[in-house]
Amino acid sequence: MGLLRDWHYIEKAVEIPALSEVIRESLIRALFVRDDRVLPKDLIADLNRLPPVTVKVKDDSEVRKLVRVLNGQESTVSLGLSAEDYHFFRTQLGVGRTREFGVVVRPRTLLTYDWIVPEQRGVQLDFAAYAEIEFSEDAHRAIAQVGATWKQLYDAAPAKGHRVPFVPTVPLDFAVGDGVYGDAPFGAYRGEFGAYVNALRTISPFGHRARVGFEEVANNGTAYDLLHATLPLAGEFFLPVAIALRLEAKPAAHKTLTYTFDDGAKLSVALDKLTRSSTSPDWVHLTDAVAARTLRPSAAAEAFTVQVSVSGTGTGLPAKEKALDTAMAGFKAKSPDVPNPFDVPADVYRKTAETVARSLFVGEVRLPAKALGDFLAKIRAFGDQSTAKAGAYASLRATGIVSAFPFFAAPKDRSKVYNLSKGVRAIASKVPGAAFTSRLAHLWEEEANFMRRMALLRSLKLTIDTAHVAQPLVAP
Amino acid sequence: MASLDYAYRRLVNTLGPERVARSEFERMVYSHDFATLPKVALLQWKLYPDFVALPQTTEEVAALVKLSDESLLQITPRGGGTGWYGGSVPNRGGVLIDMRKMNRILALDPDGRTVTAEAGVTWKDLEDFVESKGFVLPFVPTNAVGSTGFGGLRGGRLRDAIANLEVVLPDGKLLSPAPKADAGGQLADLTSLFFGAEGTLGIITKATIRVVTKPETSKALAYAFPDLPAAARFLKGIVDSGLEPYHAVLADRDHFVFERALRSDSPEPADLALVGLQGSKDDVADTERTLDGLAAKEKGKKLAVDVAERLWRERYNNYSARRLSRGLVTSYNLVPVGRLPEAVETAAKIRRRLKLNGSVQAYLVDTTTAALVPYVLMDDTRPSGGTALGFVKRMGDAAFKMEGHPMGLGLFLVFNLRKMHGRATSFISAVKAVFDPRKKINGGKTLEVWTKYPWPGVRAIPPQGMAVGLEIAAVLRRVKPTRDHFVRAYEHEKGA
Repeated sequence: MGLLRDWHYIEKAVEIPALSEVIRESLIRALFVRDDRVLPKDLIADLNRLPPVTVKVKDDSEVRKLVRVLNGQESTVSLGLSAEDYHFFRTQLGVGRTREFGVVVRPRTLLTYDWIVPEQRGVQLDFAAYAEIEFSEDAHRAIAQVGATWKQLYDAAPAKGHRVPFVPTVPLDFAVGDGVYGDAPFGAYRGEFGAYVNALRTISPFGHRARVGFEEVANNGTAYDLLHATLPLAGEFFLPVAIALRLEAKPAAHKTLTYTFDDGAKLSVALDKLTRSSTSPDWVHLTDAVAARTLRPSAAAEAFTVQVSVSGTGTGLPAKEKALDTAMAGFKAKSPDVPNPFDVPADVYRKTAETVARSLFVGEVRLPAKALGDFLAKIRAFGDQSTAKAGAYASLRATGIVSAFPFFAAPKDRSKVYNLSKGVRAIASKVPGAAFTSRLAHLWEEEANFMRRMALLRSLKLTIDTAHVAQPLVAP
Repeated sequence: MASLDYAYRRLVNTLGPERVARSEFERMVYSHDFATLPKVALLQWKLYPDFVALPQTTEEVAALVKLSDESLLQITPRGGGTGWYGGSVPNRGGVLIDMRKMNRILALDPDGRTVTAEAGVTWKDLEDFVESKGFVLPFVPTNAVGSTGFGGLRGGRLRDAIANLEVVLPDGKLLSPAPKADAGGQLADLTSLFFGAEGTLGIITKATIRVVTKPETSKALAYAFPDLPAAARFLKGIVDSGLEPYHAVLADRDHFVFERALRSDSPEPADLALVGLQGSKDDVADTERTLDGLAAKEKGKKLAVDVAERLWRERYNNYSARRLSRGLVTSYNLVPVGRLPEAVETAAKIRRRLKLNGSVQAYLVDTTTAALVPYVLMDDTRPSGGTALGFVKRMGDAAFKMEGHPMGLGLFLVFNLRKMHGRATSFISAVKAVFDPRKKINGGKTLEVWTKYPWPGVRAIPPQGMAVGLEIAAVLRRVKPTRDHFVRAYEHEKGA
């Protein structure tokens, strides 16, 4: 598991003389879909092997101990396992042989697909039971253990006088930690998830507690900002166990306004205009008709639905609403009563998330707002062509960029995922200023600067994780 | 190591004689940054560069970096020289690369909402340029040390405002640390690593910076408070009310005493808060009403619009008090917003205890963080002048106690690195090891303290040694029997 691990694996594979003749993209396809016509059976067996041991974490000291045991600094006896578990642990991991063991963190909810190379012989950590949230009394911040769900955080914050500024573009039941070692698409109108992360509490590859960033204040001017450089891949550098989050004050009043559009061109113009206006909403969430039907099955779905959350003083809200109406000119209808996907009871949210999760997601496409209508039309046409009805969730950023998540009604088999991803990439590559940022897109990309950056990241990972513990790199 | 004459010839061959300097006077100019350094520092470091090079293109910068493989001379990049802790000052001589001749604004992309400029362009020039095109910068940093500044509450941090950079790496190759399209931090975006790096990872030659459409209305508001903690509570109240002004800053009355000594038309000295608002007319009016209410709670008195507008116009000229004393030392710290009232009191107390003339200032960085930026005046021509540097050490210690941290490491404050990052220090050090394993760009700073001596045993000093030195300076300052009277001396001098 891990993007760097997958990338490294591919890089090493293309160095193998017998495989170097295979075009990089064909090799990635073969590895991704486990193609036994191209690859030897042993290799496919390796790729299909799952970590033999899963540890359900209840306390971060358990992770520390585990890392020390796997590093050979402590004996397996110190784990305090029952005789049966002890025997299982040692035989499954092959403790006592000359092997390296890796530790991987399993995301609670994976939006897209599994990584190409699973942890070969290490331990998988399940943080579902490590899920407490500690809100600050005198500041707008919280420390969430990685297993805590986003919804848990979002619902608990107002009672403590805070507001969680970031929401998931695709409303799945993500853990907060999925934002640093999974693919949870958290974001707000004013910034990406990283803008709200002050620090990570981690366990270093040597079993020490290490805080990356600062829990109480922002991380500025303290040498290299490693926190934000590694944030999307933090689990490959160290083992994050808790996240210090920057929240905002609970507003005196807030409102969700729903605008519907019947035309993609009008939608694009409105979104672009909104980002060029002086209005600053909390978040802007978009769905096409297919996605809207999933979220609100009982309501009639328009071609496009834009939900905007605004907050402020009680007296200031009408002015903000007026400004929004002006910016969103071209909408077909407006309603203040349509529930948004986030402010619903936890069980309703979970139920909807289960329905949403049935679709096949291929990853994020980031593109200028004014190109959104055209892009969604192309995705729809591509879905029809591929007999996989397409839809999309998206959210808007103040920079004029839309973060869109196309999805398809198709079985989640790996070859389907691969082909649909390729199709989405082809569409995105024709939109000026767009980027397809999925994990497969990372592997496909061969631009010199990108390769250089990935190589630097890999070197950084190897320098930080000299013990080869946090999702160690492997070669075929 | 090649001889200095050979190195000079190679530099002249690359840039031409008019853009390579080696005269004593020119080298002296580059031997310090914004902070004033006591002469005793020359015993420890070779602060004078051997050569000053002024490249005009990225290719020339790359050529200079490659040349250092031949000459084995250290490279020190320097922008406007506005750093405070020696980040752009050589410690072993070498080649200082002054980027100020790379000062072209290259392109404004109104569709993509970015502006691309070379590294030597000043923020003021860039701001004026984008404003003339109907845009504004969402964020303007206050100094070279950190990435905090104007617009943080709305526009995030400097790293959010930078779309991409062009960097000459220590191997002489070019790197764009971010993808061309906005990938939201994906696609191996390494831009964050260059913030706080203080020029130790490579030489930034270009930046692509986000711009936003000019707001419908901008307005500045100023309030005078009975004391500084009340002004600090007002700033905290802004965050707790969920308001998002463009900027909110406070300055104590001493700052305006200095200003008044320099300019008789400056505002009446008082503990002030200045708030910049941007947005739609209705939004600005509503925020102003709420701010008036918050200020009234702290017995704040609203100042006339023209006073507020004038203070806002002059917001970048914050350190004119330097003219009173010939030198000035600034301490830059981040503290939790919740502890800002305590922080401003602590800063004033430390200043009083060390018998220093100075001012306490602070501004909001984001919803959790405030920057505490007091400055003190010093005269390095007097024997006691350098002892003012002890203030920076004491302020940093106080910031740690308040669960914050000092900002900037440079040459002087490296001892704070481990205090800041604890066990994660090794992760931080790994970054330099990956980017610049031979430590040829701005080596011996930020992570370690080199001396000018190349011999084993004295090549580097333990960072704690610097801490002890500054602590001694603070103690000496404290036992100094008299207080400086810069304002009186200045007025006397002026009258004479």
